[in-house]
Amino acid sequence: MNEMTKPTGRVKSIGVPQPLVDGPEKVSGKALYSADFIPAGCLVGRILRSPVAHAEILGVDVTAARALPGVIAVITGEDCDETYGVLPIARHEYPLARDKVRYRGEPVACVAAVDVETAQAALDLIVFTYKELPAYFTAQEAMAEGAVLLHDFKPGNIERDVDYEIGSVDAGFAEADLVLEHTYNCPEICQVQSEPHAAIAEYDSERDFMTVRASTQVPYYVHLMLAKTLKMDQSRIRMIKPHIGGGFGCRTECLNVELICALAAKAAKGTVRLVVSREETFITHRGRPETDVKMKIGMTKDGKITAVDFSCIQRGGAYSGYGIVTILYAGSLIFGIYDFANCRYKGLRVLTNTPPPGAMRGHGTVNVRYAFESCFDEMCATLGLDPIVARRRNLLVAPTFSANDLWINSYGLGQCLDWVEQKSGWKDRRGKLGPYRGLGIACAHYPSGASKPVNWTGEPHATIHLKLDWDGSITILTGAPEIGQGSSTVITQCVAETLGLDMSRLQIVTSDSKLTPKDNGAYSSRITYMVGNAAIDAANNLKKILIEAAAKKLDAKPEDIECLGEVYRAASQDKGLDWKEVVMAALEGTGTLTIKGNFDTLPQSHGTKKYRGGAIGGSMAYAYAAEVVEVEIDPDTCEVHVVKIWAAQDVGKALNPLAVEGQIQGSAWMGMGQALSEGTTYHKGLMISGSMLDYRVPTIMESPPIETGIIESIDPHGPFGAKEAGETSLAAFIPALTSAIADALDGLRPYDLPVTPDKLMALMEKAETGHDDDLAAAE
Amino acid sequence: MEFMPNFRLHRPSQLTDAIAAKAEAESLYLAGGTDMLVNVRRGIEQPKHLVDLSAVAELKRRRDDADGLTLGSGLTLAEIAADDVIAARYPAVAQAARAVAGPTHQAYGTLGGNLCLDTRCLFYNQSEWWRKSNDYCLKERGDICHVAPGGKRCFAAFSGDVAPALIVYDAEVTLTGPDGTRRIPLEKLYRNDGMAHLTLKPGEILAAVHLPATHAGDPSSYEKARIRGSIDFPLAGVAVRLKLAADGTVADLAVALTAVNPYPHRITGTDAYKGKRLDTALLDALRDQVRKQAKPMRTTTVAPWYRRRVVGAIARRLTAELAGFTE
Repeated sequence: MNEMTKPTGRVKSIGVPQPLVDGPEKVSGKALYSADFIPAGCLVGRILRSPVAHAEILGVDVTAARALPGVIAVITGEDCDETYGVLPIARHEYPLARDKVRYRGEPVACVAAVDVETAQAALDLIVFTYKELPAYFTAQEAMAEGAVLLHDFKPGNIERDVDYEIGSVDAGFAEADLVLEHTYNCPEICQVQSEPHAAIAEYDSERDFMTVRASTQVPYYVHLMLAKTLKMDQSRIRMIKPHIGGGFGCRTECLNVELICALAAKAAKGTVRLVVSREETFITHRGRPETDVKMKIGMTKDGKITAVDFSCIQRGGAYSGYGIVTILYAGSLIFGIYDFANCRYKGLRVLTNTPPPGAMRGHGTVNVRYAFESCFDEMCATLGLDPIVARRRNLLVAPTFSANDLWINSYGLGQCLDWVEQKSGWKDRRGKLGPYRGLGIACAHYPSGASKPVNWTGEPHATIHLKLDWDGSITILTGAPEIGQGSSTVITQCVAETLGLDMSRLQIVTSDSKLTPKDNGAYSSRITYMVGNAAIDAANNLKKILIEAAAKKLDAKPEDIECLGEVYRAASQDKGLDWKEVVMAALEGTGTLTIKGNFDTLPQSHGTKKYRGGAIGGSMAYAYAAEVVEVEIDPDTCEVHVVKIWAAQDVGKALNPLAVEGQIQGSAWMGMGQALSEGTTYHKGLMISGSMLDYRVPTIMESPPIETGIIESIDPHGPFGAKEAGETSLAAFIPALTSAIADALDGLRPYDLPVTPDKLMALMEKAETGHDDDLAAAE
Repeated sequence: MEFMPNFRLHRPSQLTDAIAAKAEAESLYLAGGTDMLVNVRRGIEQPKHLVDLSAVAELKRRRDDADGLTLGSGLTLAEIAADDVIAARYPAVAQAARAVAGPTHQAYGTLGGNLCLDTRCLFYNQSEWWRKSNDYCLKERGDICHVAPGGKRCFAAFSGDVAPALIVYDAEVTLTGPDGTRRIPLEKLYRNDGMAHLTLKPGEILAAVHLPATHAGDPSSYEKARIRGSIDFPLAGVAVRLKLAADGTVADLAVALTAVNPYPHRITGTDAYKGKRLDTALLDALRDQVRKQAKPMRTTTVAPWYRRRVVGAIARRLTAELAGFTE
C-alpha cells in the first residue's frame, strides 16, 4: 500500500482497445498448458483404440500387458460402467468402450506406465477380440431399411427427428413470385485448435482425493462427469483448467481423454499424464457434422421472403454429444435474422459409425445459413434484384419477437449492410470486375449465450466473486474459462469500468473449482453477456460497500459520496479518501471481503413452445453480421483466390475493440477454411485426413486482408450494451464466397463445400460442355 | 505427433565415415529430415541407426566452372532458392526449391533430400495404428494395394518439386557408396515403382547434382498445383524449359512432371515441336500430350482426373508464358 499513486479521476477501460490480461505469459512462452504439468513420478498414459468401425467386444485381455515391468495400471471398459455425455437426456457414451465399439478409434483400453515406450509395448500386448458388425459411414446407409442398430434404443439409427411448421408455409409459397429449391452438401469439419487434448490427473489415495487439470472449455461439466464416472463425491475432486490452446467448440463437452486419464490415475493410485496426438485429437472430434441441407424459399418479385421450407440431415457419428441441440438449433435459428412468418423444418440427426461431431463455432447455424443465403442470392440474381437491397426488404425492427419467439432487443443488421456496401464499393464494382473476378455478399447471426443451462440447478446463470484485501488489491474469482477468446480481459474491464479503476488494480483467477465460483463454461458465446453482467453486479455491490465505508469515515451520507476511481470524496472541495484509506475503512471490523455478483437471464428470452430450439432456451440477444468477399479465379487451375473480405458485425458494444476485431477476423477466416479447403475424409471409417497436412486449414498464403466494421446497436440488457462477438461472422463468409464465385463466373454457382479446385473445375467444364460424364469416363 | 522411438544417431564429418556408419543394420541416412522423421514417428521407418549428414562439409560444396554448376546434395532448399546464379541460368530450379512446403521446411530440407524423397500415398503416410487397422499395404508390411486393389504394383507418387526442374536441364547426379563413385543422369536415379523408386545401391549417397552448361540460360519455369499456397506437397508439378529460335519457332522444348507418377517423368515426344511456330494449336497439343503421359492414381484426397487435367493446363500455361504468347 505504500507505493500507491493517487489518481484523481475515473479510469475508462470499456471501449478502449486492451491487450489481453493473460497475453504476456502467452507470448513469452511462460504460460502453462495442461501438458506442461509433469510432476515427479508422473506416469504416461496411452490409449488403445478400436481398429474396426462396428463390432461386439468379445474380450480385452490385458494379462500380458499388466505383467510387463514398468506398467502400473491397465484399464478397460470393465473399469467403468458409468456413461457420460453433456446432455442429461443423451448420456450414452462410456469413457472406454463396453459391449460394443462404434467407430474406428474409439478408446478400448488405457495403459499407465513409467515411460511412453513401455506404455506402447503394453498396448501391443493387449489382445482385443471382437465380432465385426455391418458399419455405416453415411447417414443414408445408417437409415436404410434393415440396418443394424448402433444403439438398441435408437430405432432406425435416428438420434433425433424434428418436424414442425410455424405459420402457413403453403400459403406463403402461393404468394411468392419465385420459389427456388436446392440441396447443399457441407462436409464434416474439425476445429484444429493449436493444442491437442491433454489431461493430468493426480490421485491421492490416502485422502481419496482427485485433482484433474485438463484442456477444456467446460471445467464444471468435466467436474460433474468425473464424479459420475469415478463414482466419487464431487467435493473430493478438484478440477482446474490451465491455459488452453483454443477450443472453438471441440471442448464444450467433457471428452473421454480427461475421464480416461482420471480413471487410470485412480487405478494406478498415482499421477497420470495423458497427452494425445494430433490424429487422436481429430478422432476425438466434436467438430461440425456433415450436413445435407435442402432449402426452399419463396420470394416476391421485390425480394420479400414469403415462406421457407427446409430440411437438414446430419451425419451424427456414433454418439450424441451435443447432437440433439445441433439439429434443433439448425431449425430454430433460421429465425431471428429476417422478418418472415412461415417456415417448415424437418431435421434428422443420424447415428453412424464415425467419430461423434459436436458444437463447433457457430453451432447448428452455419450450414443452414450457408444454404439459406445462397438460395436467397441466387433468387435475387434470377429476379434481377441487388442482394443488398433485397435483404433490406426483409429486416426486422427491434424490439420484437421472431415468429418462433426469439426475443430481439437490438438489431444492427441494416447498419452492417450499409457498412459493407460502402466500404467494398459494391454499387460500382459488383458485376463489373471483369472475367474471373467477383464480389459476393451474405449475412449471419448468432445468440449471445443460451438462456438456460444444460443442467438445470436453480442457481443464477452466472456468478462472480471479488476479493478485496488489506493490500489494496481486488482479485476477481471466476469459473469462466479463458480459452484464448479474451474473457478474462472482458471481465476485468467490466469490473474496472464499474469501479472507475485502472485495470492494473485487478488480478483475475479463473477456473479452479476449489477457488472460483462455478461457471457453466465457455460455449454458445455466453461469457461476455452473462458473466460480464455478473461482474458489473459484483463491482456495483463492492462499490456500494466502499461508498458506505467512505461515507462513515467522512461523516457524510452515502448518496453524497462521489467515486473517482481511487478517490472517494464527499464534495468537490473535499480532499476525500485515497484508495488505501477507503479500503481500510471498508475492511475495518470485518476483515477481507469477498463480494458476490450474479446474473440471471430474463424469462422472455427462454422461448415459448414455438421456439423449438431445445431445453437450453433462446438467448438474451443476437449479434448480426454482413460480409462482402472479393475473389479471383484462376481459369487454368480453377483455384479460388480470396482477394479481400469486408466484415461488419453488430456486437452491441465493443467492450474491447482490439479483441472484437480479432474475433471477427478469426471467424471470417475460419469460415474461409470450411468454404475453400477443409473437410474430414475417411476410408471405411478410418480418418484419412487426421493430420495438419491432409486436413487443409488455410495458411498465411490464403489469408486475405480483412477489413472489419464494428457496429454498435447497444443491447438494452447486455453488459454496457454488448453482445456476442466471436462466432457470428463465421457463417456469413461461406455464402458470400459462393455469391462472389457466381459473380465471377457469370452466374455459375457451387453448391457443395468445400469449393476445392477439382470441384470447381468439374463445375466449370460441365458448364462449358453441357455434360459431366467425360470426367468420370476419363478415369 | 507420435513419440520419437529410440535410435542411435551418428554424425560423421567425412563422407567415407558416413558410408561406413550406414553399413550398420537397419540404418538410414538423415538429411533435413522434414519428411523422413515424420515417417519415423509414424513407425513407417524403424531405424536402429540414423546417419546424420549435416556435418559432412563435402556435401555442402558448390562449384561453378566451364562444365556447368555442381551443387552438393547437402545444400538447403533455401540456399538453392536464394542462389543468384541458379536463378539466372536455371530459373525453374530456384522456383522449385522455393515451392517446397514452407519456409521452415526449406531452411532444413536439402537438395539431396528432396531428390530422394520417399513416394507418398494416402494409405501409406498414416500412423502405425491407422496402417495396422487397414492391414498395411504393398509398400509397407502388407500384401494389398488400397489404391488399386488386386494390383501388384505400387502407385505411390513421387512428390519432390526439384527433380523435374533439374531434369529439363539434363542434370546428372554423383552417387558415392561402398563400391566407389558413379555419375548418372538424374532421370536414371528413378524407376517406375512406388515401392522402390530409387536406383541407389545399398549404402549409396546422392553426393552432388551437376547442372550442365549446355542449356544454361534457357528460359524455364516450375509451377505446382496444390490446395494451399504453402505446406502442401504438389498434387501435380510441371517444369518447362523453352528455347525459341530467332524466327520465333521452337528450338528446344523440355517438359518434366512430378507428383503424377511414382517417379519424376520427362514428357516424351517434345522433339516433334522443334521448328514449329508456337501457337494455340501447338499449346493444345502439348497440353493433351502431357495429360496422356501423366498417370495420377488415387494416392491423394484430390481426384486423379483433376490432377491429370491441371498438369496439362499448367504445362500449357508455362510454355505460353515462356514464349511470351498471348491468345
